[in-house]
Amino acid sequence: MRGYVLRRCSLAALQCLAVLVAVFAVGTLLPGDTADVLRGELGTPEQIQALRVRLGLDEPAWARFWHWLGHLLTGDLGTSSTTGLPVSEDLGHRTGVTLLLGVPALLLVVLVAPVLGTVSGLREGSRLDRALNTAALLLHAVPEFVLGLLLVATVSLAAGVLPATAVGMDTDALLAQPSVLVLPVAVLAARHLCDLARQIRAGVAAQRHSTVATHLRLLGVRERTVVLRHVLPGALGPAAQQFARCVEGLLGGAVLVEAVFGFRGLGSGFVEAVQNRDLPQVQAYALLFAGTAVAVNVAGDLAAHRLAPRREVTA
Amino acid sequence: MLAAGGGLALAGSGLLTGCGRDGSSADDGDRFRAAFTAGGSQETLDPHVAPNFVDQARAKALYDTLGTYADDMSVRKRLADSWESDPSGTRWRIRLREAQFHDGKPVTAQDVLYSYRRAADPDTGSPSQELLSAIDFSASRADGRRSLILVLKAPNFEFPTVFAGPGTEIIPDGTRDFREPVGSGPFTYVSFTPGGTARYRRWADHWDGAPHIAELEIVPANEESARLNALLSGQVHYAADMAGSSVERLKKDGSARLLTAKRATAQQLLLRTGREPFDDPRLVRALQLGLDREELVRVALAGHGQVGDDLFGKGLRGYPDDLAPRRRDVEKARKLVKEAGADGLEITVETSSVDAAWEPAADLMRRQLREVGLKLTAHTRASSTYFSEIKTKGVAAFNTTSTLPVSDFLQQRLRSGTARNQTQFGSKKFDALLERARTTRDEQDRLAMLTRAQKIARDDSGLLVWAFSDANDAIGPAVHGLRAAPPNSHAWARFDRVRLG
Repeated sequence: MRGYVLRRCSLAALQCLAVLVAVFAVGTLLPGDTADVLRGELGTPEQIQALRVRLGLDEPAWARFWHWLGHLLTGDLGTSSTTGLPVSEDLGHRTGVTLLLGVPALLLVVLVAPVLGTVSGLREGSRLDRALNTAALLLHAVPEFVLGLLLVATVSLAAGVLPATAVGMDTDALLAQPSVLVLPVAVLAARHLCDLARQIRAGVAAQRHSTVATHLRLLGVRERTVVLRHVLPGALGPAAQQFARCVEGLLGGAVLVEAVFGFRGLGSGFVEAVQNRDLPQVQAYALLFAGTAVAVNVAGDLAAHRLAPRREVTA
Repeated sequence: MLAAGGGLALAGSGLLTGCGRDGSSADDGDRFRAAFTAGGSQETLDPHVAPNFVDQARAKALYDTLGTYADDMSVRKRLADSWESDPSGTRWRIRLREAQFHDGKPVTAQDVLYSYRRAADPDTGSPSQELLSAIDFSASRADGRRSLILVLKAPNFEFPTVFAGPGTEIIPDGTRDFREPVGSGPFTYVSFTPGGTARYRRWADHWDGAPHIAELEIVPANEESARLNALLSGQVHYAADMAGSSVERLKKDGSARLLTAKRATAQQLLLRTGREPFDDPRLVRALQLGLDREELVRVALAGHGQVGDDLFGKGLRGYPDDLAPRRRDVEKARKLVKEAGADGLEITVETSSVDAAWEPAADLMRRQLREVGLKLTAHTRASSTYFSEIKTKGVAAFNTTSTLPVSDFLQQRLRSGTARNQTQFGSKKFDALLERARTTRDEQDRLAMLTRAQKIARDDSGLLVWAFSDANDAIGPAVHGLRAAPPNSHAWARFDRVRLG
């Protein structure tokens, strides 16, 4: 197990570095730079060049990347070329907002999906199972953007039950009025809830009919015990990896959900940073996203490894 | 389905603001929230760097300018009490009204000189830099506390347009740091996070009278649907820059109102006359005659606009009223294309999603120009760097300009050799007329010369104004005291005159 953990973690570090290099390379390939964006239509070529020099954008790309990496090792994420403020400040505010959306969404997924999946899987083919399956497929088929707009139009604007957006609200305001979070959390969780529930359902159904389960039943083991000791652990192993993908998916979903509901979180921050060609910011976001994705995948793999123990194969 | 939600928005708004500070009805009448797009700004409260609408709205709250634009872009007094030039048009005496900065210090001639000198510095990045650099700062001076003399490098009787230009706000002498900004505008600074909310408080001692609202918040919401939903649900009172389906939805909605500024944005096609193939004037003419402008307005602008006649500034001071409208003439255009030996020629036009009308317009134009023998293809560029890129790349490009004084537009965009002359138009006759207009004292004579210059530019400059589109902002049902006005003008985003209730 220890060897596996070590190999998995060093691979993770390499993955992060690769992402950073790739993101920086793609960032420099995008047309224009921050100076072009900021001066845009108004600036003369001389003004744009002056700004470029002031922002240090006249240095070669590899030199800027090298500086950035050097600062990173001292824990400094650099300075935004749009706002002139430390990137970590902006990232900090926005992480708070995204956590307010992501953590409840994740909890919703992790608490509700196993229940729905298990109930559905144990009653495979029943009316309840079919109803749940249809609902999950339908919900899954609606893009998050559309689902968000639909919910706002019906629940907020027509019925007047929940706030429509979080426009102009910072973390404090959101904490003071958590009802703002309900719709975006629901949208964010919906697709992953469906995914995970369906995966668990399939696992439960398969395990329930496995030869081992049948054998246990023939030995007279009670059905409850069969489900708790055998069926569920067997189904949850693969689900752990699916759950890890949920976390990544939530970060992706945050881009859309934050846009629809006007949140200033990591998703919208990343989009703005790319639009502004603010590479120090883009890099910091990429590091955070890649780090999170890699970390949860490692955790997912380790959990799956643990839940489905095999004999270690030594190379 | 989406539109159906709008009608009941009001019913819900009471619930929506059920808790938090927004909740109490006493506060509701006092705090005004306006949502703007905030992307692509340098995000400081430095008023001299103010390229976007949100920057201008923030600058308007905190600062004052010497003058301001009426709806037709003529200049009205603001901090300046009077201005007059000597007979040559080079020495301008400006007298200031009595006004105070938020720290209690009076606004003086020194402050004006400092502000203009700073905004004229190319490193600052003011949109009015070019116009302000006409001032000879070594010869200009304060003449008493509230009187100053600005000496120009060359005579210019249209100079006062600069007093109202964006990026000419008056800041206290010596200001370099804008983290706790001090201005003389109707609101005082409370807080600001770059990319986030800007908060202001009413300033009771403003010379033009205190604002009616106690607090102003300018909040960012880059997604149009988020701005619209925030407005419909009562979370904000003002949503800037509505377009397309949002406009339709607001029209159906019973409570919110649209503020529509007609002809606010000039939709242009820039043909680079300095490069092949548009160095041949016959092809420029062929495009002018080949476009079906009515169809473009009907389809690409969804009817929210008017046809253009290849000249900037319809309805503004200095626009010639006696123009024969451009009519489509396919026969003549086709003949010109053949004469130029350009039958079947492929032309690439630069476009992007900056303006939702461009891509449908490019599609229509491709069909319209095929009938005159030209093959148009569209090349889509990234929106945030589009304007910077088309300065150097391509032969034809879409562009928009919101309202600004006609004479400024001509000076900046069409004079030969200026940095923002993107069509590379160069006409000695045009330049000479502009020059003579600047040095002519009598206003009627001056406008007549501008008219003659515009007629030359209309035919030859390669700058085709194919339409004017409307600009839309939206306000909630409780908002009073705002009217539709073109962006850049005085009455636009005039939040110190707003009343709630």
